[in-house]
Amino acid sequence: MAGEGVERSRDRAGTWQVLTATERGAAHRASRIPNQDAVAALPIGPDGAVAAVADGHGHSRHFRSARGARLAVTVACRAAQDLAPLLARLSGTAEAEEVIRADLVPGIVARWRDAVREDVAAEPFTPEEDVVRDGDDAAIPYGSTLLLALAWRRWLLLTQIGDGDIVGIRPDGAALLPVPGDPQLDGRHTTSLCTPAAEGSFRAGAVDTAGTPLLGVLLATDGYGNAQVARDWEATVSADLARLIASRPAEWLASQLPAWAARCASLDGSADDTTLALVLGPAVGRSRDPAPGMP
Amino acid sequence: MPGGGVARRPLHFIVMADCSGSMKGEKMQALNYALRSMLPHLVAWERDQLQAQLLIRILRFATVPEWHVRDPRPVADLIAGWQNLEYVYQGRTNMGAAFREVAGALGPGELERRALRPAILLITDGLPTDPPGGFEAGLSELTNSAAGRASLRVAVAIGRDASSEPLNRFRSPEAPILVADSTDDIVDRLVAASIAVSRMSEEGANRETLAQTLMQPPAGPAPEHADDSIL
Repeated sequence: MAGEGVERSRDRAGTWQVLTATERGAAHRASRIPNQDAVAALPIGPDGAVAAVADGHGHSRHFRSARGARLAVTVACRAAQDLAPLLARLSGTAEAEEVIRADLVPGIVARWRDAVREDVAAEPFTPEEDVVRDGDDAAIPYGSTLLLALAWRRWLLLTQIGDGDIVGIRPDGAALLPVPGDPQLDGRHTTSLCTPAAEGSFRAGAVDTAGTPLLGVLLATDGYGNAQVARDWEATVSADLARLIASRPAEWLASQLPAWAARCASLDGSADDTTLALVLGPAVGRSRDPAPGMP
Repeated sequence: MPGGGVARRPLHFIVMADCSGSMKGEKMQALNYALRSMLPHLVAWERDQLQAQLLIRILRFATVPEWHVRDPRPVADLIAGWQNLEYVYQGRTNMGAAFREVAGALGPGELERRALRPAILLITDGLPTDPPGGFEAGLSELTNSAAGRASLRVAVAIGRDASSEPLNRFRSPEAPILVADSTDDIVDRLVAASIAVSRMSEEGANRETLAQTLMQPPAGPAPEHADDSIL
């Protein structure tokens, strides 16, 4: 699902809907570097959906990071799909977070490393790439972040490694940040799927939407947040999205998401690859009156 | 679109200028000329690159530090309203207090979350003359803060006497000390430093390679490998 330009996908099979968009950053465009972000979404039966975004590292050491990001979103969505049978037994958010840590994250990391091994086997490193690797583990060139939202019935399971943002949108417009921050992320270094400590570097959060209603949740690579002028942009974005979700059909949101990603990825914004996945709750998407809103 | 609008990411560039008594006369004139000469290069870089809006502050330091330009200003504004720095009569070279002042400016909540890692350019003609422990305490305060630790720190030494162990401790591992052997060299060194600072601040920049390309070899010990990708 990753690549140049804008891509969209939309799953309407479940009660949860996923809208996605990705845009190559202006700086990458100028440097002829591909979009190193990736996004994927899959349905989970009739009652759920999973969405994932990933940001391949830009440093030259991670010369296959665009592939690493694509592999990450693909295997993460599949791992989440396979986890679905466990969700029926969930009784609380603490248990849901334990499922993330004990089942989902190890599965993602193991599958990603397997996928990297297969990719290297299919296309071994060239002598030039081996010079760049300089002894690095084979996973290092594929380094990527990953943000994932697994939505199933009342449950929303969220996990993240590395930078990027997960913003829950409350019906009153307030932002819910269900995944704790990571003080290690200083804007220069990031945790990564490619490190041996990857499993322990994932952060997790779970929301029982029966008790904590959400209109949806936004997953964004850091190209989005780094473009926002507002200091507490999550609150502003959440308030605006709540208004738009309440007043506009999902089709309209789907049509706008690529433009929002493109604006952030432009010279007027972060100039970085920008990828969004907007997961809309079961109550969203019903017919509603068109209302004046922002372009 | 949702949110309060978008903009380029801020790159905060703090110039720490030694205005101690030993800078009197030709050195001070040369420093002012060099700073003025440096600014157009930063304007050109800002115009040509795609990611950052450069915001400059200038801290002059002697016995005590004092902001010459306290609030972050776009480079073009600084050029338009340029005012020369002046040396401080019998002023000492107390770097520790200056580091603390910069640490405060980069402290928690002071910079935008989306700001690129800040850059600090230290220009001095001498050894620090702080009270015992003052240099170390000030530098620790700077480098123990998240933004200070992440900052790109470049030192320009005016004269060989200034190329010293303290400057090695200040600089970022990937950034060598630039030495201006004479006042005539100050402009060249500051221009080199400004170009290096700006280009090394770009996302994804290979800082070690840029440092080798744009600046002189390190005067001190070989820099450690600095990795800007993964923890």
